[in-house]
Amino acid sequence: MKYAIETFDLTKQYGDFLAVDALNMKIKNKSIFGFLGPNGAGKTTTIKMLTCLIFPTSGTAKVTEYDVLKNPNEVRQKIGMVPQLVSLYGDLTVRENIELCADFYGLQEDLKESRADELMEMVDIKYAENKLVKQLSGGMKQKASVVASLIHQPEILFLDEPTIGLDPTTKRVLWDLVEELNSEGRTIILCSHDMYEVELLCEDVGIINQGKLAAFDTPQGLKDTMIHEIKGEKTPKDSKVSKVIEKILEETDPEDKKAVEYIKDSIGSDDLDLKELSVMISNKDEKLMDHLKNLSIIHDIEEHNSGRITMDIEDSDEAVTQVISDIIDNGGNITSIATKDPSLEDVFMRVTSKKKEKGVDDGGD
Amino acid sequence: MMVETKKIWWMFKKDLLVLWRHPPRLISILLFPIIMITLFGYGMGGTLENIPVVVVEQSHGQVTDATLTAIKGMSLYDVKDILTDPDKGKQMVQSGQVKAAIILPSNYDNLSDTQPKSVLVDVDSSDQMASSAILPATQALFSQVSNQIGMQKLEAMNLTSAQSAQSASAIQVQSNQVAAASQGINFQSIMNSINLQIDKMYGNIDYIDFLVPAVIGMTVLFGCMFGMGESLAGERERGELARLFMTPTSVATVVGGKIISKVTVEIVRAIILIVAAIVLFGIVINGSMVLTFLVLALGALCFVGFGIMISARVSTQEDYMQMVMPITMPMMFISGVFYPIETMPWIFQKLAYVFPLTYVNDALRSVMLKGAGVGDIWVDIVVLVGFTALFFALGVTRFNRDI
Repeated sequence: MKYAIETFDLTKQYGDFLAVDALNMKIKNKSIFGFLGPNGAGKTTTIKMLTCLIFPTSGTAKVTEYDVLKNPNEVRQKIGMVPQLVSLYGDLTVRENIELCADFYGLQEDLKESRADELMEMVDIKYAENKLVKQLSGGMKQKASVVASLIHQPEILFLDEPTIGLDPTTKRVLWDLVEELNSEGRTIILCSHDMYEVELLCEDVGIINQGKLAAFDTPQGLKDTMIHEIKGEKTPKDSKVSKVIEKILEETDPEDKKAVEYIKDSIGSDDLDLKELSVMISNKDEKLMDHLKNLSIIHDIEEHNSGRITMDIEDSDEAVTQVISDIIDNGGNITSIATKDPSLEDVFMRVTSKKKEKGVDDGGD
Repeated sequence: MMVETKKIWWMFKKDLLVLWRHPPRLISILLFPIIMITLFGYGMGGTLENIPVVVVEQSHGQVTDATLTAIKGMSLYDVKDILTDPDKGKQMVQSGQVKAAIILPSNYDNLSDTQPKSVLVDVDSSDQMASSAILPATQALFSQVSNQIGMQKLEAMNLTSAQSAQSASAIQVQSNQVAAASQGINFQSIMNSINLQIDKMYGNIDYIDFLVPAVIGMTVLFGCMFGMGESLAGERERGELARLFMTPTSVATVVGGKIISKVTVEIVRAIILIVAAIVLFGIVINGSMVLTFLVLALGALCFVGFGIMISARVSTQEDYMQMVMPITMPMMFISGVFYPIETMPWIFQKLAYVFPLTYVNDALRSVMLKGAGVGDIWVDIVVLVGFTALFFALGVTRFNRDI
């Protein structure tokens, strides 16, 4: 398989601080790759090394077919970047900025104008080509930045938090653009804290934590792995510890919920054993609520101002069916039902909260 | 090569476009040299004139009249009153109404009197500038009057021997510095047997003439140093430089473009400054105008190089300014902008030679005041070229492409 990016023990050290620790990662060609990580995890440093803004302390990386250490200018010619901080000159017009970038990439004179027009039309910013960049809205600035980054037709486009601070409509326009650019055969590296965005767009996701690649898979693969991990962490039912716990629970008054919860907390039981069920009941009343609160399979129940009720119930299909049946049997009129499965955000939280664990090697294989 | 030229041209064009689109910044850049030269020209460069004085006459006659005419004829003095009471004259000095009281003795008009005639000058020595101007001028005035009296006496006595002429000594001027613990300085003027000739080798050079070349150098220094803060550190802070460094472009190309635009702006400012100095203060440039601008361009290059060296690693404009201020301010005072380096304490004299501004000032003064050619200022040029090469080498090699 051809990879757009391959890193080989890529390391960056600032004094005593190891920002990126022997990172090995392979990003598929022509894919949309989500690169995630908490602040300070080494994500930006990695991107800077891959875009040749800084050089690694040790190790190296191949971007397209070029080595970042040996051929930085060839790498720069093959990539485009839309940085988080829009880095167009505010006192130049959109067209002037694009032409400046075209000349800095050494674009031929006859191609410059036509390509600038084509790209501006594609992202729908042609009408503002003579406006100063500082006069544009955040979304328009991002569009102009995308055009400036694409003017030399790069094979790989890095997007660093491209939709931060944008309204939902503009976000969707940019998402469509990312998908369109990818369908044209470009590899997209998307750095984002917006998990929905990453889940929606990305084929593969890598999560970096404390300078190491902590997870690498498809978004669904990561979620499945997390569910399996959680199940594996649960105390086996036939273990000695489990038997002791069961005995303690038997001896505890079931009405004394506080004691039960304390025991559960003490043995490490957490909300991951539960499923969140959310229902909207049009004729909700106190009687129905009291009934639900007394159901043993409902561990927690909360009423919201919107009229919606969210419940933490046991994580089984039978439990969902039972709760719904109970509401209907008690005269409740359900207008909507939703259950919440583990999301990419849950995966991110779980992966990044792990302390000093061995990273995932050879991500992408 | 063609591509690199295009990039440098863009850097130049971009900087000028940005300047053009910021009228307040453009006006400030163009007005700054005029403000500087006006400020220094009127505030520091002029000669002292019209210092208020009072004259006390205690006798009447030809000598007193001649002396009063001479005092009134000098632009240095503005004679506020002519009194007869010495105490009242002294009181006027003490009350600050006048800066000095010139008290002529009671035997001033008696030519037959062989005793020296003591003229007393009470000076307000708390005003250092006024007293330092009054004392030598008054001394020179009475020396001249003394000579004239001596000659008259010689003619009257029809004597020819030098001994007799010396005995006809004339006026003794006593200076009494009122505020400074009344320390009087006594000096005696005798009829000169030596004829002192002063040859001002470079013409009549006023302080403003001395100041203008250095003010030009200083303006270029500030323009380049502070300008580079906005130009490199500011663009780095706003992420604009990162866009350029993501392209296959060398640091030298980006820096080269910056240098050309900055040096161009500084040369324009220097032209404005020189024109303003000529129009407002009648400055004459004795040397070659081309050489003057070449020295200025070299100075601008050197200071831009210094700015690049400092901004090579800083990430914000504020950091840059904090690093530049402790260097530029001492450089301004130590590099002989306001006073000749030779008059400064020895440690400052030594320090002056590590600042490029010293060499810019020396070269500019040599060309503008003395009419020096390249052969006369080659040491300054060599040192400035050396500094420039060092700054660029350090700046470009240490320059951080990072955002």
